[in-house]
Amino acid sequence: MRPETKEYRFDWMLWTMFLAGSRLKNGTEKEYQNTLGYVPYFSGILEALYDTGAPGKAFLECLAKYTENIVFARERGRKTAATSFCFSPAILHAMDIDPICFEVISVMQTFPYKRGSSEFLDFCNEAGFTETSCSSQRGSMGAFLAGMASEIDMIVTDTPGVCDTNANAFAFAATYLKKPFFTLDIPSVLVDGRTDEFQLADFRALIEFLERNTGKKLDEDKLRDVLREMAKQDDMLNELEDLARIVPGPLPGAFNLMIYASRFMFTGMKECTAVIEAMLHVARENAAKGISALSGGVENMRAFFCYIDHYTHNMDFFKYFDERGICYQGNMLSRSWSCDAPHVDAFGTEAAAYEIDTTDLDSMLRSIAAQNSRMPMVKSIRGPYDAPDMWLQDTLSLAKLYSADCVIYNGTPGCRNTWGMVKLLARDTEKAGFPTFIMYGDAFDDRVESWEATKDRLDEFFRVRRLLA
Amino acid sequence: MSDLLMDAANNLNNESIREWKRAGNRVVGYTCSYVPDELFFAAGILPYRIRGFGATEATIGDTYFGPFICSLPKAMLQLAGEGRYDFLDGAIITPGCDAMRRLDECWRKAGEDIDGIVPKFFFHFGVPHKYADYTLKWFVEEIIRLKTAVEKHFGVTIEQEKLLDAIRLYNRSRDLLDRLDELRTCEAPAVSGTDALAAVLAGTAMPHDEYTKRLDGFIQERKSNAVNYRGRVRLMLVGSASDDVNLVRLIEGDRVVVVADNLCFGSRFQADRVDESGDPIQALARRYLARNDCPRMFGEYESRLTTLMDKAARAGVEGVILQNIRFCDLHGAENGLFERDLEAAGIPCLRIEREYGPLVETGRLKMRVDAFLERIWQRRKAS
Amino acid sequence: MITAGCDVGSLTSKAVILKDGRILKTAIIKSRPKPADSAVEVMNQALSQAGLSMGDISSCVGTGYGRDRIPFVSDTATEIACHGRGAHWLVPSARTVIDIGGQDCKAIRLDAGGGMLKFTANDKCASGTGRFLEVMARLLGIELSEIGGMSAESKSPITLASACTVWAQADVIQHLNNRVPVADIAAGINNAMAARMAIIVNGIGCERDVVMTGGVAKNAGVVAALEKMLGLRIKRISRSDPQLAGAIGAALIAVDREKGGAA
Repeated sequence: MRPETKEYRFDWMLWTMFLAGSRLKNGTEKEYQNTLGYVPYFSGILEALYDTGAPGKAFLECLAKYTENIVFARERGRKTAATSFCFSPAILHAMDIDPICFEVISVMQTFPYKRGSSEFLDFCNEAGFTETSCSSQRGSMGAFLAGMASEIDMIVTDTPGVCDTNANAFAFAATYLKKPFFTLDIPSVLVDGRTDEFQLADFRALIEFLERNTGKKLDEDKLRDVLREMAKQDDMLNELEDLARIVPGPLPGAFNLMIYASRFMFTGMKECTAVIEAMLHVARENAAKGISALSGGVENMRAFFCYIDHYTHNMDFFKYFDERGICYQGNMLSRSWSCDAPHVDAFGTEAAAYEIDTTDLDSMLRSIAAQNSRMPMVKSIRGPYDAPDMWLQDTLSLAKLYSADCVIYNGTPGCRNTWGMVKLLARDTEKAGFPTFIMYGDAFDDRVESWEATKDRLDEFFRVRRLLA
Repeated sequence: MSDLLMDAANNLNNESIREWKRAGNRVVGYTCSYVPDELFFAAGILPYRIRGFGATEATIGDTYFGPFICSLPKAMLQLAGEGRYDFLDGAIITPGCDAMRRLDECWRKAGEDIDGIVPKFFFHFGVPHKYADYTLKWFVEEIIRLKTAVEKHFGVTIEQEKLLDAIRLYNRSRDLLDRLDELRTCEAPAVSGTDALAAVLAGTAMPHDEYTKRLDGFIQERKSNAVNYRGRVRLMLVGSASDDVNLVRLIEGDRVVVVADNLCFGSRFQADRVDESGDPIQALARRYLARNDCPRMFGEYESRLTTLMDKAARAGVEGVILQNIRFCDLHGAENGLFERDLEAAGIPCLRIEREYGPLVETGRLKMRVDAFLERIWQRRKAS
Repeated sequence: MITAGCDVGSLTSKAVILKDGRILKTAIIKSRPKPADSAVEVMNQALSQAGLSMGDISSCVGTGYGRDRIPFVSDTATEIACHGRGAHWLVPSARTVIDIGGQDCKAIRLDAGGGMLKFTANDKCASGTGRFLEVMARLLGIELSEIGGMSAESKSPITLASACTVWAQADVIQHLNNRVPVADIAAGINNAMAARMAIIVNGIGCERDVVMTGGVAKNAGVVAALEKMLGLRIKRISRSDPQLAGAIGAALIAVDREKGGAA
């Protein structure tokens, strides 16, 4: 890492940039346009978000709030926990712990930084971490390892057995930074009484760990508040996900990113609700008018991503699909539902849905453990890809549910799990009638495959498979 | 070393296995050191550690696995695809790590394209990633689930007394390996690292009663042998799975003796014993989950570091080679921490990332080892 | 005392003849397929320039990837030991040596006496090596020696996939097709190379003074980019060609060994 990079506090920089960004449209249009010229690396993402209207603004406010929480946690007498995107932060919020989600920050950080996350990615290697490990954690973990950000009080994850590479990154950070570490362990079968009991016991152990490291007891009422807010969000998300099934699609592609990024940061918090409410308003309006959310107004085809999307390049990824009239139908990051979602039946894996029951502490713990174990990856890549409720069933069900014309894989070269089975998955999705494309880029590191090359390869796929004229 | 031991260490379908099969007996393979061999031995089934040794290409491995995957499971799949594991009557897959876990579906799917390469008994054995009362409970249930499945599929009964016998036999071989270790770690090592690895490897690939006899013989032979490796640079080998004695041979050359290791195909096997009193399933679960130390057990770095430091001190280690197979994130990352902490404790380290098996670039590896020796000799001279 | 060092690398072979602590003659040639042929040719060149024959050399140390196949050497040493020794002789204040050779790159930490404290080497693939630059120069249709100077001419260097030589080639071709100025591509290549090296150097802890040896030390673009990334000046070698550091080190080790010390 360049010595001068270490001179700036990482989380403070992010906070001030997102805070300023979220206020940019409070003045006149002319002021807004003029200001963009002063933030040449940030302007692309600002424009992309503000193009979505109120949801984009709410999302920027959400990002600002999230980073503000990290910066001021200590001052406010709260604790911080480094955690993973597939760990539901609800329990942390209920215990006055501010989450520091490495993967989400890795994405956030590519928004305003000139060189993206490259220096932080590389710092991890300088600190002894393997360069083949997943870029999703490394992109922000490097800043924390380098001591450039607020101190982390503890490290909590839930990926052993789901993604050991992920768990390994958090274990490394815990040792390197000498911080208390707890990880939930995940059995390979999702819908199973034995798994439920194991996960409940594991969750109780987690709460003991959190209580020990915060010096506070879990407040049942506070947990209930968080879960009720989460249930409210779930209701709205269910409606959004259901609206996304309409042809032409009433949701802009960027909504996908905003939905799950908000959930990974603020599940059960009002800030997340605000983003979802704003999106729901837009989607309902578009649906009522029967119009496509694509800027060209014409939907040529629908693409479903079976893993994750691409986060560098100022959201050019979503623009790319928009420009070609492709309705981007999301990926596995936002696709898990409570059991009362209207499309659960159509989805065909009702048993994989979760239920939020706030009756008593025991039912709440069961609910939160079940919801947590239905987070992305934890839900569908814990077992063999072709086992019940796992990646193949999930992908095919979602592709059908959202009337996708093709299935596309994108991940990171650090993803041992999906690279261990994606060729097999692609064979099966092809057999099921979905033209399938495997991207070789890195969602968090554009040095692996340039965006130009990625675009060319996608274009070629759509052309060769005659998906686009 | 006895030919039979060397044969077992260096050949997949070795003479002991062929004889075992000729007698109509069965063999079940497993991929990870978290599977209790004793259970199979008690059932009259030969537990066999699946290896990637001897794969000369990766055409089949690369067809099913993606590109960014460790070459060890790819080599295992390659061998299976080539029919070289046709002698297996069963296979156990564990979540040892992500890549090894995916051997499950890659092997099964390869079996749809190539007839007869998937053993009829194919079992996913769920091993927790931490040690707590509820994970132990899970693991006990998992061992019972495995036991029941084995009994049903193979039409056998695993009796308690047989299981206790098996535990005693495997503990006996662990005792013997400790004695072998004494010959290796002493001031004038009578056993090379190459032979020591071969001795442990053989135990994973032949009937254990025969093995303990041979091992005992080997130890006696070395005790009475005047040859030793005094004066050579004493190294410890740490990191990713290594079932290829040639890697150790390459490192040792004629100037090094590998006096200690922490490899899962190596001395980790005899690091502890299974409790011979009480319920055997509980005892197996405690031994295999609690103290069989691999970075897959997240958050336990400190205890692994302590183990390494103790081993290094006991064996008078002058340097540590920290190797990992490319894409092995678990050992790769932990090696970074080991390097930091061992160097701080004054133990020189050499960190190497390599491909598995015959894909190892011997020239590059040799150059690094030679430069490492130059560093150690310089230290010897200075002290 | 006249000693020699012969460094047979993957791209070039180097020979140095040393007399009483001074460089008498040197030679650099492109390596032949057989290391022995390269060694004989480069050593003969140096010897003939010096008007000497092999019999005049009291001892010769071989190094480089072909060191075990050089017929005339009295002893061998690794490139790491030789570059460390050579760099210390060229710049006595050197504590960190960065050597970028044809097929790998190394970082070596030295103590005040030039003893090796620690080293690390990139052993992945061609990325971050002289070979990488050679492949890229060919792709750009320029000489290898030109690529370094182009960084200074570039206003907007491209960002290059630094992880893989093969994929980087595809990207370079794409940039060429898009009519990106060659200087910008070349600068991007130099930056990618430096970024890769910076990780390795920072990984073993960079201490002043820092020197660079090996052929790539002559690439001004890589050196400048690396200085920026490390945040310190890399001390230039003026006593000799930095590409010869390994062979110089080998000749010095020959002296040490004759005097009875092991290097």
